[in-house]
Amino acid sequence: MSITFKEVEHIYSENTPFSYHALKGVNLDIKQGSMTALIGHTGSGKSTLIQHINALLLPTAGEIHIDDFLISVTDKPETLKPLRKKAGLVFQFPEYQLFEETIQKDIIFGPKNFGATEEEALAVAKKVLKLVGLDESYLERSPFDLSGGQKRRIAIAGILAMDPDILILDEPTAGLDPQGAKEMLNLFKKINEQGKTVILVSHDMNQVLEYCDDVVVMNKGRVERHVSVDELFRETEYLTSLSIDLPIITSFILELNKNGFDIDPSIKDINELIQVIGGQIHE
Amino acid sequence: MNNMMFGKYLPIDSFVHRLDPRLKIGALLLLLIAVFFDAGFLGYAILGIFVIMMALLSHIKVSQIIKAIKPMLFMMAFLMIFNLLFIQRGTLLWSFSFIKIYDQALTQTAYIFIRLVLIIVMTTILTATTKPLDLTLGIEHLLSPFKKLGFPTHEVAMMISIALRFIPTLLEETQRIMKAQASRGVEFSEGTLKQKIMSIVSLIIPLFISAFQRAEDLANAMESRNYNPEAKRTRYKQLHWKFADTISFICVIAMCSTLVVMSIVL
Repeated sequence: MSITFKEVEHIYSENTPFSYHALKGVNLDIKQGSMTALIGHTGSGKSTLIQHINALLLPTAGEIHIDDFLISVTDKPETLKPLRKKAGLVFQFPEYQLFEETIQKDIIFGPKNFGATEEEALAVAKKVLKLVGLDESYLERSPFDLSGGQKRRIAIAGILAMDPDILILDEPTAGLDPQGAKEMLNLFKKINEQGKTVILVSHDMNQVLEYCDDVVVMNKGRVERHVSVDELFRETEYLTSLSIDLPIITSFILELNKNGFDIDPSIKDINELIQVIGGQIHE
Repeated sequence: MNNMMFGKYLPIDSFVHRLDPRLKIGALLLLLIAVFFDAGFLGYAILGIFVIMMALLSHIKVSQIIKAIKPMLFMMAFLMIFNLLFIQRGTLLWSFSFIKIYDQALTQTAYIFIRLVLIIVMTTILTATTKPLDLTLGIEHLLSPFKKLGFPTHEVAMMISIALRFIPTLLEETQRIMKAQASRGVEFSEGTLKQKIMSIVSLIIPLFISAFQRAEDLANAMESRNYNPEAKRTRYKQLHWKFADTISFICVIAMCSTLVVMSIVL
């Protein structure tokens, strides 16, 4: 499932006093099986961009290729329904999309909409519930009795149950406690390792460094960088100009290097860093 | 949903935009009453020119006015057909089995059409040129004489302004939930009746939950800041009656009295 954007433009409410140019000539090529972070300030066009991947929004110019699907200006969103199954989009605060009486019914809602039978959907529901770290006893409970973090897991399970090839997540850890956020990200990493393409919108550079391979930086409707995580965090001046903070570990290494150390700034793991520092001390 | 023109404020600057909201609300009320005086086609022509002038002064485009009329077309057609068929006065013009068309039915139907168009255009001018908060402020000022009779003016105005304030929020929320459910394979425009009901349910329930949640949050926020509806309060935003408002008011009065006089004389 490769994703290719060609000269994509998007203008909201064109030809009205409310018109807003959200995407400007976006060219992008996201590799199959990668875990790509999408970063940029509020209003930089991240949400608009990801809604093009499952054709919730159609471009006002340009085209998007997703495997065999072509999304262009003239398409009717209805004809692109099969694409919605391939590209699962998890919105920010997805817990607000729950509506069924039981968790089981809510999880099988998506698969059933795409034509799965009740039995198939139920089998999948059990599997994804386990995947998001909840046991089968939850199936018959009401989603509205759960805590915020658990609700979000159920909502994400509802998308995973559709078995998408591409998983797009809009700030999935916003408002979660650090432990919950970590578990959530480990889950996405696991899904990515099963061969699925994962696109993660995030404001937390520590998450980007630890979990992602590539980074797409958006600014004012344009894609300004599409590089590997290591390359991005080497461009400290560029990041400062966007007032994006470096990951804690990277800025710590840079601070050490300023004071005479010589450590590879692409180290991501705290234990590796300790070893490297220790080694240099013993020399 | 974003194409809805009726009741939407247009953020531009014009003569009508700058007028006092009290004047605009009062003028609309007077003109709405005047519309129902039977001043003949000549009267409606004069009122029509007056309304067109108001639209021009408020810089609203014709396309925007047409957009506002469009959603009402079905109701208008319905009303007109009923009037045409059920008013049986005057001379018979045309008949076909049970369908009989009389000349008075024709004029009455034309009147109804003109009245509805005028009402929609005038209301659109008010809402397009007045910010929702100014509207509420105007309503509160106009209602203030009733305070002495024990009418809860401030509470009503607060309720209206909260309701108005949350319309865009709820629309946004609706769109967000629609998109989230569309991502789960819901099609809002297609499918059998059962599927359609299911898709509406998947929209309404989350919408209600978030609306109640918002209401509770807002109530808590107001209470934690010690909001007291009975307290006497001052306003940051003051209304200033200007010379242009007086002139406009005189014009509206003149227009309305012309129509009333015409309806009596003719």
